[in-house]
Amino acid sequence: MGFVEDVLSSFISIMPVTLAQSLILAFVVLGIMIPFRMLNFPDLTSEGAFPLGGCVCGVLLAAGAAPLTGILIAFVAGFAAGCCTAFIHLRFRIHTLLAGILMMTMLYSINLRIMGKSNLSVFGSPTVFDWVPFARPGFPASKIAIAGLLALVVFVLLYMFFRTEKGTAVRAVGANPDMAEAQGINVWAATIGGVGLASAFSASSGALMVQSQGFADVNMGLGILINGLAALMIGEAVVGKQTVWRQLLAPFAGAIIYYQLVSFCLAAGMPPPDLKLATGLFVLAMLALPSLKRSRGPAPAREAIRE
Amino acid sequence: MLEIRSARKVFYKGQADEKVALDGLGLSLATGEFGIVIGSNGAGKSSMLNAISGALILDSGKILINGADVTNMPVHKRAARLARVFQDPMRGTAASMTVAENMLLADLRGHKRTLRQGLNATRLASYKQRLSILGLGLENRLDTRVDLLSGGQRQSLSLIMAVGGSPDLLLLDEHTAALDPRTAEIVMQATVRAVNALKLTTLMVTHNMQHAVDYGSRVIMLDAGRVLLEVAGEEKARVTVIDLIGHFSVKTDRMLLAS
Repeated sequence: MGFVEDVLSSFISIMPVTLAQSLILAFVVLGIMIPFRMLNFPDLTSEGAFPLGGCVCGVLLAAGAAPLTGILIAFVAGFAAGCCTAFIHLRFRIHTLLAGILMMTMLYSINLRIMGKSNLSVFGSPTVFDWVPFARPGFPASKIAIAGLLALVVFVLLYMFFRTEKGTAVRAVGANPDMAEAQGINVWAATIGGVGLASAFSASSGALMVQSQGFADVNMGLGILINGLAALMIGEAVVGKQTVWRQLLAPFAGAIIYYQLVSFCLAAGMPPPDLKLATGLFVLAMLALPSLKRSRGPAPAREAIRE
Repeated sequence: MLEIRSARKVFYKGQADEKVALDGLGLSLATGEFGIVIGSNGAGKSSMLNAISGALILDSGKILINGADVTNMPVHKRAARLARVFQDPMRGTAASMTVAENMLLADLRGHKRTLRQGLNATRLASYKQRLSILGLGLENRLDTRVDLLSGGQRQSLSLIMAVGGSPDLLLLDEHTAALDPRTAEIVMQATVRAVNALKLTTLMVTHNMQHAVDYGSRVIMLDAGRVLLEVAGEEKARVTVIDLIGHFSVKTDRMLLAS
């Protein structure tokens, strides 16, 4: 019994910290979901956009900029990165995944150039988390409040957007680009804008993370994509994806559940180096599930990535 | 009005498998006219429709819709002037979206899309009414995802989406070929009703000679990327399936000799 109690008590004691972290990382999951599900554009840019946002914000904070300015400029930088990925795919007909890999590789150098070194401490700089009046600075409650509020605002705005005439058109581009074009929708504009917006969210997440942890690092994006994908899969399994509402809720719910799950595994004594293997196996299982359910034989030869 | 002036398109130019898809094709369809395009496989029917809709850019030649030159206009800009129903029911609709959302997408064809709410009560009521004309019960399934509909229902939906907003030109690309005979008949009747009621300028590609005889005011037979035969007016009223097939066999014999 002693072991179970130990695991539970250490899990519960870090629960608030994990929740704060997961709310910040929920924006990366959102940045993965929008291209993947709404635009049918599996995108890997987040792995580079997340540290891009972190580096931009870190440099700005170190130069004495206001924390909100740091996030906004990170947002714009991420948007530009996403636009580039979409443009590479559309203009040169390079596969979306390869376009994303190219972009994230190039972003690594750009991130290093932006910071001038591989990591940068901004500890003690003002952050958006200082704005919560009642909580002590640095305490997870203020992070949960700010990140939670941001998540709520973004969720509501996106939900409203995807129900507008423009938003419906963007979804049509993901559902059937030929049909969308035949209905007079500019597929280029919708794809570039949508993927740009998604990377902007990933970059904002990086900026928030830097303010939360007090330092920026070029390697902070390492593995963020597979974590985000795992979170998205959990979210979709829990809340579903049949409607716009559920599809938008999935990244947030998934991020919260996934990071608690990870922290539970670590509390239960799982060696941290095994984490990526476990996450990878989990994502594989979630992606393989539909074809395992369908039959015992192998998946059909031509399987769309969108199942 | 639709006008195609000496349209030319060559695929794989300069390579061993060079193929002339359109060879100086010329065609003119007056406003409100219902043209039926027939021809064997590879005659250039699909290339012609693709060139009109903008999916295919011509090597040379011009395409005019209601007098406006659309030759170099991208697909999404041409969409304001024309609507198309594809042979494959999957291509004309967005499968993962609902019936109402698909109707909305078509409704906004040629209009500026705003940040106002897409589906409102007024629109839903009008979609319900427009879909009820089909008599397939689609009006009660506005919130159903289109991938849950049958092929016939999807194609009927595509048709209603295409004729809504009275496009300057309606392109029908063998739109009943993938359907069972009974559903094909329902879709064909709905097509004729809509085309007549809205006086749409229509170009329909078909392999069904009976349709070519029964419907439309002009039959255009394509062969090797050009117009082989055009039958209109009095003559069109008298033409029979046998006459049309006769022209096919002439060509087939010649093709056999050539090969």
